[in-house]
Amino acid sequence: MTGNEDAPANLVVSLDRLNKWYGDHHVLRDVSLGLAHGERIVLCGPSGSGKSTLLRCVNGLERFQEGTLTVCGTTMDGKPASLTEIRRRTGMVFQHFNLFPHLSVLDNLTIGPVYARGEPEAAAIARARELLERVRLSDQAAKFPGQLSGGQRQRVAIARSLMLTPDVMLFDEPTSALDPEMIQEVLDVMEELARDGQSMIVVTHEMGFARRVADLVVFMDQGEIIEAAPPEDFFANPATDRARDFLGKISTSV
Amino acid sequence: MSAAIGSYATIGKDAPRRPAPHGAGRLAQLKARYFATPGTSLLTIVLGLMTVWAVVSFVRWGIIDAVWYDPTAEACRTASGACWAVITEKYRVILLGTYPYDEQWRSALIIAIWVVWAVLTAFRLFPLRLRLAGWLAVFAVTLVLMRGGVFGLSYIGTDAWGGLPLTFLVFGGTIAFGIPLAILLALGRRSVFPVVRFVSIATIEGVRGIPLLVVLFFGTLILPLFLPPQLDVDKLVRAEIGMVIFFAAYAAEVIRGGLQAVADGQDEAAKALGMGYWLRMRKIVLPQAIAIAIPALFNDIIRAFKNTTYFAILGLFDVLGATKVALDDPAWVRYGLEGYLFVFLLYFLICSGLSLYGRSLEQDHARRTRRAEQ
Ligand SMILES: Nc1ncnc2c1ncn2[C@@H]1O[C@H](COP(=O)(O)OP(=O)(O)OP(=O)(O)O)[C@@H](O)[C@H]1O
Ligand SMILES: [Mg+2]
Repeated sequence: MTGNEDAPANLVVSLDRLNKWYGDHHVLRDVSLGLAHGERIVLCGPSGSGKSTLLRCVNGLERFQEGTLTVCGTTMDGKPASLTEIRRRTGMVFQHFNLFPHLSVLDNLTIGPVYARGEPEAAAIARARELLERVRLSDQAAKFPGQLSGGQRQRVAIARSLMLTPDVMLFDEPTSALDPEMIQEVLDVMEELARDGQSMIVVTHEMGFARRVADLVVFMDQGEIIEAAPPEDFFANPATDRARDFLGKISTSV
Repeated sequence: MSAAIGSYATIGKDAPRRPAPHGAGRLAQLKARYFATPGTSLLTIVLGLMTVWAVVSFVRWGIIDAVWYDPTAEACRTASGACWAVITEKYRVILLGTYPYDEQWRSALIIAIWVVWAVLTAFRLFPLRLRLAGWLAVFAVTLVLMRGGVFGLSYIGTDAWGGLPLTFLVFGGTIAFGIPLAILLALGRRSVFPVVRFVSIATIEGVRGIPLLVVLFFGTLILPLFLPPQLDVDKLVRAEIGMVIFFAAYAAEVIRGGLQAVADGQDEAAKALGMGYWLRMRKIVLPQAIAIAIPALFNDIIRAFKNTTYFAILGLFDVLGATKVALDDPAWVRYGLEGYLFVFLLYFLICSGLSLYGRSLEQDHARRTRRAEQ
């Protein structure tokens, strides 16, 4: 499972020797990975190791200088057409939710499909209600983001991304801005998604979650992938000192 | 052992109770506010006496000894109070300017339409779209009524336009064209394209560095010298273009402040939903930015209303210009104070209305963001 697959048709996301610099700062170094359809990768690593940057490259929020990125057969070539196509294949959930505060929950969900894709409003509303039901928020459709708890907001954000039926969902530390008692409700929704076969890349330090849903745990440090293994192996038997060190730190801090 | 610890905490057992009644009566409060120290007491007494004196003398001059109706200005000459007769005599010129007398019903109708629609807008009786569409209709009707030449209305050139309708038209046009231009300048200033950015910055900074009067003189007097003579743009239009650009340069900076206050994550989330630039601006970023900018924007809007008085200097008869004409009449020339007080009251009412409307929009927004605090 680790390393290079030879079945690109089955890959939702593939990165080949991706390199990115901020000025002279080399933040992604020869990053190569592939996410197979219906599988989950959990990305972890110390702060500043480049996890967010990597995720943001995958849906075109950041540009990179070298390497290739392919999402569902579309290779990013810097042109608007490929960017648009890649964005329609990916959904992103942010650490700070980034819900639109001036729109109701329902409008937050429908604005993408209706305005960016020209979907009929009635169809979008129907699907929004289904998804709100799925994240257990059907009674909150008319509220505004500011009236919701953190956990509820993040579940709305997940539903908002799902509205566009992305081939891959990207999560950047979706629970780290939440109070402890709200983390589980968000993780539950994500686990349900995983059970339904959604392909996902998740940056998280929730190691219990990683154990349960990850097909592959990828450990990064200083812009490099240091280790990649199925969760059972990674947690039981980290191959590198850096990973062992990292695991030691996060398990004592919980 | 607990004996070793100096710190302690007591377990609470009381049910919630009311606070002890605080503060004494009204009288004590008044005393604390106005007579706390000998200094404040003195200030209270002096300011109080001055206020009473001012009110009493104004009431005597403006009401008791005033002359209200006097078509020949004879009674005014002997009266010791205000001569409001100048208003009852000249209000048509002040409010409607030098517009042909027989056609003044057209101007009066315009004023009525503006006032009615402004009130309906302010109370938000209709959805935003309808309100804006209504204003578009108000503009169209105003232009048709003022200019004529269609529907059997006689044609009247812009040089005869004047009074409150002209003031409204100039002000409305400044806002209607100025705000979209300001938004474009503000977005342009943050553009990734260097040329767009340069043009926006040059316009904003250039115009802000020049007094309005210079902008207006440039538009009306100097610009025509450089334009080919067949491109004969109306003087009113040229002055209006100056007003629009001047307003937009200031409003652009206010809107830019609002844009900067919108979190980057908003734009990113919209990008991740596949929304293009203009869509993100229109639906996500600008609604939030403008809501934040509203208090400062209303400063500029109110200033734009007051700036319409500059048209008087250009020889166009806005309310102030028309008042000057009205008071040129030798029989009434001595009652300028009363005339200008009336104009002052008019401007004060309109500007206060604008200010109140701005405040209510602000409160609306505050109510929504208190809910939406993220
Ligand atoms: N816009 C930027 N400009 C310059 N440097 C940046 C920028 N964004 C991130 N970096 C740097 O890139 C490196 C990787 O950042 P990144 O946010 O991807 O790390 P991360 O692994 O997500 O960390 P965290 O766990 O704290 O979120 C860091 O050293 C960071 O300082
Ligand atoms: Mg990060």
